[in-house]
Amino acid sequence: MTRATTRGQALRAAAAGGAAVGVAAWLRPQPSAGKESAAQDVKIFNFLLVLELAQAAFYDAALRGGALQGDLLTYARVVAPQEHDHVRFIREKLGAQAGPPPKLDFRQATSDPKRFSAAAIDLEEATAAAYIGQGANLTRDAVGDAARIVAVEARHAAWIRDLAGEDPAPRAADPPRTADDVLAELRQKGYLR
Amino acid sequence: MTGEPTLRLQDVDRDEALLEAVAELHGDTRADFLRTAVIGSGVLLAALAAPPAASAAVSDTQILTFGLRFERLQASFYTEADRVGTVGKMDPRKQRWAEVLGEHERAHVRIIKKILGRKAGKRPFFDFHGVTESEDSFTRTTVAMEDLTVALLAGVTPRVHDRRLTAALFGLLTTEARHAAWARNIVNSTPAVRSFDEPRSLSDVSRTVAHTHFIAAAPKMTRKRRKPGFTG
Repeated sequence: MTRATTRGQALRAAAAGGAAVGVAAWLRPQPSAGKESAAQDVKIFNFLLVLELAQAAFYDAALRGGALQGDLLTYARVVAPQEHDHVRFIREKLGAQAGPPPKLDFRQATSDPKRFSAAAIDLEEATAAAYIGQGANLTRDAVGDAARIVAVEARHAAWIRDLAGEDPAPRAADPPRTADDVLAELRQKGYLR
Repeated sequence: MTGEPTLRLQDVDRDEALLEAVAELHGDTRADFLRTAVIGSGVLLAALAAPPAASAAVSDTQILTFGLRFERLQASFYTEADRVGTVGKMDPRKQRWAEVLGEHERAHVRIIKKILGRKAGKRPFFDFHGVTESEDSFTRTTVAMEDLTVALLAGVTPRVHDRRLTAALFGLLTTEARHAAWARNIVNSTPAVRSFDEPRSLSDVSRTVAHTHFIAAAPKMTRKRRKPGFTG
């Protein structure tokens, strides 16, 4: 790649990202599920728990399967325990109100390095977007907890994208996604049964 | 802001946790010197110097004002590295990284400026003390700065009052976390070190920024150019 091409591409990509975050869009998040409350926190964290459990199970399956080497293996080894920490943290927060574990299937997704990378990007992006979508619906203390976790999910997303040769930070501001949208994707891809 | 009081850094320095970060950037002696250095202050710093109970009442505007100052610092940092040719000399992968981060930070400046409107205030003068002039110091400082931004946003996001702003800050937090992870991968450092990103308060981050002396009291004149280089 020539320098001109690289810079040109970078600027075009960046400009597209910048254009996508007009002030109006930036200040118009997902419609709130209602005024924040402890009861709403429980619902939201149960949804986020499903995503954290899915990620933890995915990385466990990948590490058990033995299809990974090099940078991808390092990535999975670092990220897996972090997802388990998130699961533990949310479960402790929810206590007896934690929902039952979902039925998950990552056999296909972890069968080779390419599939692993694609699925890891799917899961990390979906999880980050889900936190962004729900963040403002949480009570203040819970916002702090979500912020500490989502930053790590975004780091994972950027890391695996970089390893897969994709742009680690495709936009100047990340858009939110609804819970329905995220869960539908995981079902459609066969991760969530 | 007129008639603002002059504060010494130690007046707002309640703990020394961040001196470690400063030591990484500039060395202990500089940190020692800065601890007692006199810094100009405005309403924000006055608020930061107040006891913790009072600082809980920091307004959204104060948070955004500091956010703008910080984003301007970052945007100028990348623009300056490009202008002095450091970015152009890097390999294509790093070049792309520096260009994209610069463009994102400039977009953040535009966004926050628009939200603040007339309250946005003037852009400060920056002096990066040559840090943007070598690839090594530029990339290392970038890692520190992006990690610091993540900590700042993790700290202020739960503190804003307007829920639309909370939602928006989540989308910025994840972008800055991507920058930090990308920067770390560029310098072969683990992109995600901990399971939880630890938040830092506005006063913490404000102090670290003051320590770097990147925000100058007056424009820097050089022999090569007669006006200060800036953006944002």
